[in-house]
Formats: sequence, C-alpha cells, structure tokens
Amino acid sequence: MHTIQQQYWAVREYLSPVLKESKFKEHGRITPEEFVAAGDFLTYKFPVWSWEKGDPSKARDYLPADKQYLLTRGVPCLRRATALAYTDADEDAERLLSFGDLSSTGNEADEWVETHAGRPPTQDSAAHAGVIDDIPDVDDGEGDVSGAMGNLSLGGQGVTEIPDMDEIPDMEEEDLEGGDEATAAPKTSAPASSGVATESEVEVAKGNLLQVRTYDVMITYDKYYQTPRIWLIGYDENGTPLTPSQIFQDVSADHAFKTVTIEAFPHSATLQAASVHPCKHASVMKKVIERMNQGIEEQQAARKSSSAGSKDSKQKKWPFRRASGNGKDDKAAASGEDEVEGMRVDFYLVVFLKFIASIVPTIEVDSTTAF
Amino acid sequence: MTIVQFAPFQSLVQPDFWHALTNLKIDVLRLSDDALPVSASYTTGRSVKDRESGKEIALGCNLVVGGDAFADAPQLPQHSVRARGSFKNFNTIEDFKNADKTALFNHLTDEIWKSITQDKSTALLSKFLLITFADLKKYKYYYWFAFPAFATKPAWEIDGEWTGAKAALGEDTLSAIQAQLHESPRPFFLVRTKDGKTEIAPIEEYDSFFAGIPVGERTIGFIDPSAQPNNPGWPLRNLLAYLLTLHPADASQGLRILCWRDVEPPAPGAAGGWKSRFGVVKQGAGEGAGAATAKPAAVGWEKNIQGKLGPRVADLAPMMDPTRLADQAV
Repeated sequence: MHTIQQQYWAVREYLSPVLKESKFKEHGRITPEEFVAAGDFLTYKFPVWSWEKGDPSKARDYLPADKQYLLTRGVPCLRRATALAYTDADEDAERLLSFGDLSSTGNEADEWVETHAGRPPTQDSAAHAGVIDDIPDVDDGEGDVSGAMGNLSLGGQGVTEIPDMDEIPDMEEEDLEGGDEATAAPKTSAPASSGVATESEVEVAKGNLLQVRTYDVMITYDKYYQTPRIWLIGYDENGTPLTPSQIFQDVSADHAFKTVTIEAFPHSATLQAASVHPCKHASVMKKVIERMNQGIEEQQAARKSSSAGSKDSKQKKWPFRRASGNGKDDKAAASGEDEVEGMRVDFYLVVFLKFIASIVPTIEVDSTTAF
Repeated sequence: MTIVQFAPFQSLVQPDFWHALTNLKIDVLRLSDDALPVSASYTTGRSVKDRESGKEIALGCNLVVGGDAFADAPQLPQHSVRARGSFKNFNTIEDFKNADKTALFNHLTDEIWKSITQDKSTALLSKFLLITFADLKKYKYYYWFAFPAFATKPAWEIDGEWTGAKAALGEDTLSAIQAQLHESPRPFFLVRTKDGKTEIAPIEEYDSFFAGIPVGERTIGFIDPSAQPNNPGWPLRNLLAYLLTLHPADASQGLRILCWRDVEPPAPGAAGGWKSRFGVVKQGAGEGAGAATAKPAAVGWEKNIQGKLGPRVADLAPMMDPTRLADQAV
C-alpha cells in the first residue's frame, strides 16, 4: 500500500509543472531558481550547510546538477522533545504566534504555538525524570503492529527493536590488547575544571538522562508543493542509527505521526529518512513572510523618519526569535537592513529553518553558530 | 608531568554505507571475502552549548563512514580529512566470529609501521580496519572497527596541562593557520612563524621547513577530532610515534603540539573564542625511551556499546524492511 502511495506521489510530482513565476510573497511557494538562490545564501552565511549532488540517476533536471539538495551533518540534539512535555508549571511558557490578519483568513487553526518560549535555564527536567520512561508508549502501540507485520514477513521470527547483542557472546575478546594507560576513557575522565562537560557528566549532574543524539539534516525542493522539504537521519550517542520511533521522540507531540513520516529520500536509490510533510509549509511560510515584511517595512518607515533608534524594530521583525537567541539572528537582521523592498527570497530558507525548529524543538537545526 | 590520554575514535556509520555494502555484496563481491580499500573521514571536534545548563558539551570523536566509502574518489564533507581503511566482509557469522583478528590487526600495523619507517609518509597514520558480517535478510549488520595506534613506552607526558591555543600562539597565528587550512585541509601539518609570517606545510617537509627555526618555535599541528579539553584525539598517537621515530632529537626536547579544533574563526564577541588546544609533550623517562627500532605494540579495537571489546550491530530493519516501513506510513 505504502509503495503504491509512493509511486503515486512520484507520478504526481513528475506531472506537476515546474513553478516559473515568483510567488513567494503571495503564497509562500518558491521556484527552483529561488530555492537555489536561498540555498546559496544559506551556505554562504552558514557554512555548515552545503550543496549535495545526490545520486546522479535521481537528479532533478530543474535544479543544477551540483545543487540538488542541502545537507548539514551532525546536528546535535541534547534532549528528547517528549521530555519537554507540558506540566502545569509550563503553562505560562506558551506563546501564541499568529501570522497575518486572522479575520481575513477566518481560520483560527493557522495560529502557531511557540512552546517554552521563556523557559528559564534553571527549570530542570529532573523534576519529571520519569518522562523518559514514558516513551515506550510510542513503541508499544507502534511496535505491536510492526512486530506482527514482522512476523508475517519473516516466517514467524519475532522482530525485536533492540539489537540482540547476546547472539554473539563469544566474540568478546578481552585478550586482544592489554591495558593501555594512554587511552582516555571518555566516559569518566573529562575533568570539569575547564567548563567542558562530557555527555555522561551532564547526565550525572542533572539526574536526568541526557542522550546526545546527532542528526543529518537534508533540505530538498518538493516540486509538487513548491516548497523546501526537510529530511532527518538520526544517530544515538554510540553512532547507531535511530529507529523511526526513536526519531519521533524528537518531534513535538503535535506533529509526530501526523506530519512527520518515514519515506524514501528522493535523491538516493535506497535510503529512507524521516520527513516533515510539506503540505502546510507554503501557507505557514506565507504568514511568516507577511509578518516579516510588515516588520521590515515598518522599520524602513521608521528609519526614514528618524535614522536613530532602529534597534527596537530590528528586534521585532523576527517572529520566531527565541528567548535564548543566538548571534545568527542579529547577523541576518543586520544584513537585511539594507533592503528596501521587504524580505528578499534569499532569506526564505533561514526563515524556513526557524519554522522547522518549532516542529523539532530539540534538534538544533537553527543554531548554526553554535560551534 | 601527567600522562597524555588520547580520546579514541568513535565510529559513526551512516545508513548509506550499509546500503552501499548491500549493493556491493550482491552485485560485486558475492561470495568473495577479499579485503577491499575503504575510506572514511573525520573533522575537528565539536562541542555544543546546552541551553538549559549553559555548559559546553563535547560531542563524540567521530570517524564517519558514508555511502561513498567504496568510491575511488569519495566526496569529503566540508572541512573533513580522509582516513583510509581496510575492509573485510565475512560470509557467515561463524567466519566473522572465528576470524583471526590478531593477524588482521598485525597486518595493518605492519603496513602503517612500514609507511612510517620506509616511506616516511604520514598518509597511513590514521589507517583503520573494518570487518563486517551482513545479514541481508534481516537487515542486520555486524561490524567491528579497529583504529590501530602505536603504544609508545614509556608513555607520552605533558608539561603542565593543555591550554588554549590563543594564549600560546596568539590570535594572528591562529587566524593565518585557519585561513590556510580552509584552503586545503590536511590531517597533519607543521607551523612556523618566520619574519612575522605564519606558514603551514606537510609533515614530510619537516627538515627543510624547520631549517633555521629553533626547536622551541617548531609547532606540529593536527586536525583534532576530540572536543575534550584535556584529551587530544586519537590521530595524535601515531603522529607522535612518527615524530619519535624520524625526529628523535626534537622529540626528546619536547614537541609543541597544536590540537586544531577551529573550523571557522570564532565569531567576534562570542564566548569561548578559539577552541584549539596547545601543549608541549615529551616521552616519559624510563627504560626503552627514545626511538624504537622494532615495531611497537599497538592498540585500538573499538569497544562496543557495553564498553567491552566486541563487535557492534546496526539493525536497519526499522529503516529498510518494506513491511515495517508500511506501518509508519499514514
């Protein structure tokens, strides 16, 4: 069934025409040329992103051969989104973000909630350490079905989620090498004096599991929806690839299983990756862009009337600005100052990443200056 | 004087690699279990700031094996350097279990030692070994990495402790190194500052490049995959063995080591600044100090998730098995 569906999508994408006209301000969609321009800007400003060729047989001819999709590797993810689950104490941290004029669209569902907007740094999730244990709920529901399916396909052999290391117990070979005094034991030896903690140290210090995962994040251009589309491949702290249910732990509860699915990555023959479905991207991006344009235009007006005091308006024009903020916003804002005609399309992907950051709150897709 | 402890490599195998291996096994290798060349890459160590606690958290010291590992000219990720490896796939789990791992390991260390002593080359210093068994029906892959490193006896010691590189070398020197490494990343390099100009060069040009430079101003750098402040990364071990063997006079006086960890120059005003570390290391006193004539013992089998010396398993059924994937589809 899934295969048929994917075939259908492939055909639909093949048949849909390439968007030619620039429409990004009208409905948030962009042309392949604009995708390339925005991607060039992103890779120029934030070199952790790079263009990839992908599998040549899967290359899309409406994109340059060497600019098929954008990639950044090893994006850290310190906590699980499920660990950010609401408690009463967090109620005030919600902030409703509404883009554009609600009365004109008449659609209240277009409001977005930014969670944990002002989360204080002391608010430790140790208070609800049990949340981690609750995660298997996701596995249970899903695992039962997939287990049953696995039984069908693999001739009655049960499929377990956890790799069974006991299958090869006699391969433990302690005699391969003697003790080596010069090998750092990374889990225990890092001194805290210089302020850099190892993964395990934080875990102990906070009484909470801190499993540092890393993600490879790809951005492709979806021809049917005419928007960028984001793909995730995750690894746990040991470098083992994450299973889909583990990846869903990093997706905010509102989106897991609804808008995030595992699908074939379009630029590889075999690879499967988690993806945020792009059907709503255009309308959300439209609202963000409208909001930003207003901000920028106001700012430009303000600058005309008085050249001084533009700092405040500069702050306001980033609707997704986080409490913890980072240097990136300022840089992007600073370079945007010179524009006179509202937001340029180059900014599209920068804004897009901020939108994605609200779906996968703990994956630091947006903190491109973190290292 | 404290003993220098090196942060071991941690393997990170991208799912693409298992896909590539599956195709290779079915279409090319079939039942052959010959050793094949494979390549991997590593880059500078990274740390990330935890928003909640404000601490810097060191990320793993990763050696990344990707989907183009079997390609002749793999496309390296940005700022990464290549590590060559030897790959061997076994046809059955029994073969995999019973493989003579000591012999495979020794074969590799012989190769590395020969390249140091005879070719005087640094090309194989990070050479690694990867043995696998691919259970294609169950989408399970058993694998075991070895990152051979010569264990110098007596061990290397550091005078004082590792410090920030800016204090030792200065802002200008680091900026110059960053610019040159950005142009052409290289895993190991020499640094000299002559007439106010900082230059880098391959390790192989040691004698000519450092001619006329006092030993106290010769600096040797390497791309450091570790992000832990007091543990340089694994590649330094073999580099030190190389220097001790080929340049024993300098090594006996203490080697000025630069652990390069800055991909980008630090943003102005950013907390932390340059992340590279600097230290002067010297071989400890004791029996057998000095250049080794025979191949020293080597270590480097990767431990598994349980911290034991044993193989790891990548279970890709959830990401590859068509029936399991169908369940995820909405």
